[in-house]
Amino acid sequence: MAALETSRELSAGSARPAKVGVWRRLRKDWWIYLFLLPTLVGYGAYTVYPLVASWWFAFLDWPGFADSGTFIGIENFQRLAADGLFWNAFGNSFLFLILAVPLRVGLALLLAILLNRKRTPFKGLLRTLFFLPVVTTGAIIGVVFTLLLDAGGPISVAMVGIGLLDSPANFVASTDTSLLAGVAVWVWKWLGITMIYWLAALQTIPQEVHEAAMIDGAKPWQEFTRITMPLLIPFLVIITLIDTVGALNVFDLMYTMTGGGPSFSSEVIEIFIFRTAFGATVPQLGYASAAAVLFGVLTMGIAIAQAVGLRWARRATGAMT
Amino acid sequence: MNTSQTTARGIPGMAPIGRRQFLGATGAGSLAAVLASCTGGGQSSEEETEGGGDGTLQWWDQFRPLTQMLEQDLFDPYMQDNPGITIERRELAAADLGQALQVARRSNQLPDVHSLAGLDAAPAALVSEGWFQPISDFADFASSPVADQIFDGLHRFNGDVYAVPLFSSRQHATIPWYNAELLEQAGVDPDDEPVTWDDLRAVARQVRDNTDAHGIFLPAQNPNYLNAIVVQLAMTAGAPGEIDWRTGEYVQDSDPFVQAFEFLLSLQQDELIHPSSPAMIPRDATARWAAGEGAIYPWGPWFIGDLASESPDVVERGLGCWSIPRPDSEMRSVRSGPAGGVFWVSTDSAQPEAAAELLLRMTQEDFQAALATAMDQPPALLDAVETADVHPAYRDMVARFAEDVRIAPAPEIGHPEAWRVLAEMRPVEPGIGTILQSALSGEDLDVAAELRTYREAMSAERERALEVVQGEGAEVDQDAWVFGNWDPESDYAIEDYDAR
Repeated sequence: MAALETSRELSAGSARPAKVGVWRRLRKDWWIYLFLLPTLVGYGAYTVYPLVASWWFAFLDWPGFADSGTFIGIENFQRLAADGLFWNAFGNSFLFLILAVPLRVGLALLLAILLNRKRTPFKGLLRTLFFLPVVTTGAIIGVVFTLLLDAGGPISVAMVGIGLLDSPANFVASTDTSLLAGVAVWVWKWLGITMIYWLAALQTIPQEVHEAAMIDGAKPWQEFTRITMPLLIPFLVIITLIDTVGALNVFDLMYTMTGGGPSFSSEVIEIFIFRTAFGATVPQLGYASAAAVLFGVLTMGIAIAQAVGLRWARRATGAMT
Repeated sequence: MNTSQTTARGIPGMAPIGRRQFLGATGAGSLAAVLASCTGGGQSSEEETEGGGDGTLQWWDQFRPLTQMLEQDLFDPYMQDNPGITIERRELAAADLGQALQVARRSNQLPDVHSLAGLDAAPAALVSEGWFQPISDFADFASSPVADQIFDGLHRFNGDVYAVPLFSSRQHATIPWYNAELLEQAGVDPDDEPVTWDDLRAVARQVRDNTDAHGIFLPAQNPNYLNAIVVQLAMTAGAPGEIDWRTGEYVQDSDPFVQAFEFLLSLQQDELIHPSSPAMIPRDATARWAAGEGAIYPWGPWFIGDLASESPDVVERGLGCWSIPRPDSEMRSVRSGPAGGVFWVSTDSAQPEAAAELLLRMTQEDFQAALATAMDQPPALLDAVETADVHPAYRDMVARFAEDVRIAPAPEIGHPEAWRVLAEMRPVEPGIGTILQSALSGEDLDVAAELRTYREAMSAERERALEVVQGEGAEVDQDAWVFGNWDPESDYAIEDYDAR
């Protein structure tokens, strides 16, 4: 009987381990939590608290020079809904995302494939060169590119010289091109890090798979589309997620390059928030917080969409293999 | 990675994702995304102030040309007289100071004394929110040389003086500063002053045609700069300002404003403006003017002081200024409101006596003369410029201001609650500067229609603000903006407020 009970306990234990209470775990592994404490305190003070405070501020009418705001319910959100400049900034951020992320992901993949080939010379040097802009401060790059891209800058002069332009163009100060200039510089700046992600991803594909494809007579394009790409899709989703988050954090670059102008044509949502909170003659902290909250809700939507995409991609690739 | 580590589905190192993992990943992603909405802020629990407690007086401002003068003529003598006090000054860019002050206020770290760049729309609002403490209890400002320039609603609230004017309001920011060397190369005699807009255009054209430099700088990345230029040029064309003080109505869509737009746009169409101007802020234009890339730069009186402190050789090279040009030979003045307070003493300062004493010293003739020497904004006591050791161009500029600039009325002086409306008013965009920025960037705009839309929006915003403050019990209406006895070509003096 005792042997039977022991056997049942063992069998139950192997199916699902006995639950250990929180307090018991805390007592047992207290030193783990002690080491975690500084991180938890820092995260709480500098991430969770400001986050919660932002949501609260969004419901206040709070001029920046007042000590505190007055609760006004959803009035800030109602104002935002009717604020053309908010939707302009929202649209600019979205357009930035739509243009910049595929460009960055695609170009970086192309570069990674080229730099992953055995026949490519100076691979180490080229990888370093492409990575250099990543470690350069965004604000500095913004200032430098303002000079490079203005009408008297070398890029405009060169384009006139080779006949691409009739007259010098001010790429950062034209309503038609200011956002595109920001996209181009952002993609250039961050290409190196995405290239590194892709290189790491490419190196996870076993050489044997490529060899098998060659033996089966696959041409390079077939090998890329039928072997390499399907195996890279999970990485594509992750890399796109990382780059998407990056594309929503372009304040330093855009602020120094264009200041959001001319005429708000390159004002992304972060500049709108900053301008509303600090740049106006009467700062509106509550209104700026409401804009930030709406922006957060949008990015949350994107994150969920990406997670759904990730799940679908993994299922799809699983089904293919 | 070898093949043995490849999963059954053929994806190296990637395990299939379950419902719980999916939900977990989604939750984490969502949390990360929500964090993107974080704007920071919040009250600090720190209760002690940074400055003042230990005999140190913190001082923040944006006046770069004044750096040496403040040290030599104010702080050092004061610290010698008062060994227990140490003054620590921090200079910030004007664009950053307003933000720094807001953050400092919420973390109880305001300096003892600071200027108001970026927060100067309605100092009375800051007084009412308890930012400052009065200084008239600690020093006799009623007997100071600038006593007649201290006004209720600007410097004095409920009978207490909180700040004093240190700069003259007889100034504007559209002084055509010229590079004498370039003009000489272009065959232009600087003494043959371009009086009208067409004269200025002709000079710019001569520079462009006869030198490697460009005619005029118009740094267009900063809409505030453009706004000031348009308003001041419109006044030379007959506009009373953005508001017609005789009726209290906004007039930004009147003919003089449209003419000012057309003049500036024609300069660009004639390729007389430095081609990189659209991407410049005023500081960039100053640097490139100093580098000799262009001959004429319309900017404020502080321009020469900036150059003297940063690139004295450029001042030595030769520069000068003309009066603001006008559309025709008829002389019309530029109007500027009364000068506000410059430095304010934080309510948390433990050194109000020291701060008040320093501010009182700044109003005295000897300090005002030293202030003139720094060649920033002209001092409140304009006569000090006559005897001060300043560049001849600076003295010439101040003399031109005496001819060209008249003092306009200010609603916050005329009505004790007008400031509440000003503090309630929200920015209206696109404003004058932004409309011009769009037009300069090549956008096809109906300028008159855009200005009309702006004027209507400004009027509506003032009405909204009036309704809000009336709802809070303030007894103020649009009459606070009406000064029926205003003469555009005369200074509006304190007695005129009583006589209206």
